[in-house]
Amino acid sequence: MTEARAHFDEEQGALLASGVWHAEAAAALPDLAGKTVRILDGAGVTQLDTNGAWLLLAAARPQAGDPMPELRAFQPQHLAMFKLVAQHFAATAVQPAPQREGVLALTGRGALAVWGHAIGLVDFVGRLFIELMALLPSPGSWRWREFGVQVRDVFVGAIPIAAGMLFLLGVVFAYLLGSQAQQYGANIFVVDGLLLAILREISPVIVAVLVAGRSGAAITAQIGTMKVTEEIDAITTLGLSPLAVLVIPRILALLIALPLLVFIGDIAGIAGGMLVTQQQLDISYYMFMDRVADVLQLKTLLVGLGKAPVFAVFIALIACRMGLSVTRDARSVGAHTTSTVVQSLVAIIILNAIFAVMFVELGI
Amino acid sequence: MRDTVIDVRNVSTTLGGHGIHRDLSLSVARGEVVALIGGSGSGKSVLLREIIGLLKPQAGRIELFGQSVRDSTPEQMNMLRKRFGVLFQDGALFSSLTVEDNVATPLFEHTRLPSATCRRLARLKLALAGLPPGVGRKRPSELSGGMRKRVALARALALDPELLFLDEPTSGLDPISARAFDTLIRLLADSLGLTVFLVTHDLDTLVSIIDRVIVLSNGRVLGSGTVAELKTIDDPWLRDYFAARVSKEETKHGN
Repeated sequence: MTEARAHFDEEQGALLASGVWHAEAAAALPDLAGKTVRILDGAGVTQLDTNGAWLLLAAARPQAGDPMPELRAFQPQHLAMFKLVAQHFAATAVQPAPQREGVLALTGRGALAVWGHAIGLVDFVGRLFIELMALLPSPGSWRWREFGVQVRDVFVGAIPIAAGMLFLLGVVFAYLLGSQAQQYGANIFVVDGLLLAILREISPVIVAVLVAGRSGAAITAQIGTMKVTEEIDAITTLGLSPLAVLVIPRILALLIALPLLVFIGDIAGIAGGMLVTQQQLDISYYMFMDRVADVLQLKTLLVGLGKAPVFAVFIALIACRMGLSVTRDARSVGAHTTSTVVQSLVAIIILNAIFAVMFVELGI
Repeated sequence: MRDTVIDVRNVSTTLGGHGIHRDLSLSVARGEVVALIGGSGSGKSVLLREIIGLLKPQAGRIELFGQSVRDSTPEQMNMLRKRFGVLFQDGALFSSLTVEDNVATPLFEHTRLPSATCRRLARLKLALAGLPPGVGRKRPSELSGGMRKRVALARALALDPELLFLDEPTSGLDPISARAFDTLIRLLADSLGLTVFLVTHDLDTLVSIIDRVIVLSNGRVLGSGTVAELKTIDDPWLRDYFAARVSKEETKHGN
């Protein structure tokens, strides 16, 4: 194999090429700026493919409108290659770069997207409600199997991680609270603070965040992939409703699973706190439980558990809707999954703030 | 003697406890357009994947351009990959890239050309594959099945390979698009001097553009030759296969 070479002959206006002309031969082209190539000479060309032919042709015709150079001393099969490339040469003209959009256009586009999103969500909830009303009178047509599978995935699978996280948070919280309370000799009040924080705020929010990241993302990815592989279309064509088959079982599963997980988180968090108070503050397990019985009000527990179903519905709605709005490409699945997690987290934080204000106003 | 491009020698494959190929041998010479046919599950696609180095056979030897696929180092395999192009069954276009960038990807990755040149060459390949200008800016999901196949063909041709593998190139296309695609493959094979190895179910493809047909049955090569030559082989599957074609023609005349 001989390397590609090209030499420009000023007198004849000829580009003399030789060797093997592939895509890699581009480096062999001399600088032709301001020069006109009238003749392409291929006497020394041993191999030529369409990429090579195009490179030589493009060197001689920088603009698509430039005249075709004379082809000299090429082998017949190479001339045929040039003929093929020359036929389609117009298609390879330099295209102007697509115009970039300004800040204003991008802002407008973003606002429209948010608006479309809000409308879409209202529409989705509406259709879901109609579907639910239609399903209510006939419990036999509910997808109990799918519901069971979802409860297993969302609830059973999340128990170890939810318990583990809340246990550690209980440890940390009790430790920090204890190190402050100790200075005032208010050791036993650590239990009060711990109960309030874990049951009312930490456990519901952290478990909801965990479920949003874990199950919300999984739901979007799964439904989105089903959309890409046309499974959703198949469900519709079989006369079934994707909402009834896929969405409602998932919403119900999350609705059941999240309060249960929060309750497990409550227990784990208290257990973590109990361990630390015994070690650090010399509050025995018996004293701890005694104090819990004294100060724990049912409403503290119920406030935390009551927030969970609301979080669950929002996570499930967002995740299912995002999954169903995936378009038919792989990137869309990733983008929508990310969007589910972000939207769910924002929703959880905002809802939690609304709850906090609401409970204060109601005096709970 | 003609230059052998694909050489498969005594290949045996077992997948999941099933014997797929038993002592299978075949070869393809430079410039040939060869089709591999066989019933469903006869291991056509597995053989194709073995030849392009995606699967390893349990025994035997597969050579491309005289170089063993099995014993190649990753670097050697990459050199080899630049010399052949593959058209996957469903196109396998990258859905996150535009059509133009899909075709330009092999050029971006395997050459040192500036990206503007890569894109212009990509447009040349799209034009060669018979796609109208303006398709380049679209996304694969906006194209019809036939156009996606053409884009995939353009991508397979991006580096001007000497050898082209096609996995069921006309499946999922309507008969008119399928014949047009066949004609395009033959045209490109002749004008670019390509060797083409294709797996197909489509009898019309065999009759219209193929130099030689290789029949796979029970893990072996049952026969090889032109369609007329194959009709003389006495094998139940092959008889049924061609009978399907005959009855199709009869219905056509009947109408």
